[in-house]
Amino acid sequence: MMITAIRVEVLFVSVAVVLTILLATRAELTRVRGGKILAFITLFILPVVAVGLGYSEHMERATSTEFCLSCHVMHDFGRSLYVDDPSYIPAAHFQNNLVPRNHACYTCHTDYTMFGTFHAKLRGLRHIYVQYIGTVPKPADIRLYTAFNNRECLHCHAGMRAFEEEPKHIKTPDMMSRITSNQLSCMSAHCHDTVHDVATINNAAFWKGGQ
Amino acid sequence: MRNVSIAPLIERRLRWAGSLIALGLIVQLTTFIWIHPLAFIAFAVIACPLIGAGVLLFLYSLASHQPS
Repeated sequence: MMITAIRVEVLFVSVAVVLTILLATRAELTRVRGGKILAFITLFILPVVAVGLGYSEHMERATSTEFCLSCHVMHDFGRSLYVDDPSYIPAAHFQNNLVPRNHACYTCHTDYTMFGTFHAKLRGLRHIYVQYIGTVPKPADIRLYTAFNNRECLHCHAGMRAFEEEPKHIKTPDMMSRITSNQLSCMSAHCHDTVHDVATINNAAFWKGGQ
Repeated sequence: MRNVSIAPLIERRLRWAGSLIALGLIVQLTTFIWIHPLAFIAFAVIACPLIGAGVLLFLYSLASHQPS
């Protein structure tokens, strides 16, 4: 049986539960020195470590594709990863393992800045609010809060030979500098402008592999 | 006599602290079952406050305890 982080965490929390219930039902154990030490470990150290492990686990899960697509409104965005057309940028990245498939959404939609992960989590909390309390928009009406920053593409593509020597990227002398400075969006018209395109997803053909 | 009257008070608080922490940890365990935003919300809004309250009650019971 493979030992995974989640199994260790479940085991740790389970032991903590058993010890805590023991102390909750037999508080008189703390009358002796050994019981006092047990109480300190059980009622302070174990819960603090358990919360830390839980936080870490949930933060990791929040970056998974399964997590992002668990809301119904994201269903078509998930389908768009399987469109059988390489001009669909997310599909081309997903199907060719250019992004890790189990973290596909997060890889492109986090900000590669100092507080990028934190900002991504804040946006995630806002999404949860809209999903359960607010008005859920139609998939085709969903837009990014701000225009997609080339920084997120360049996190992987900067320095790549195929990117830097691509004739379309060096069509004019200043084109590469405009791309790297985010003056010319990677998703500009006639560049990589076909993204999820969920409005027309029902007309698309789908790749059957990788399921 | 003073020992007898003080000991049950701290033990009662320890029982409460243990119960809160155990409940919080059980909620945390159940949130590991699903990969879903609601599991995260249950962890953050239910499990963490329960565990936090239990730990604080434990620390308060130690700080407020006056040994004879």
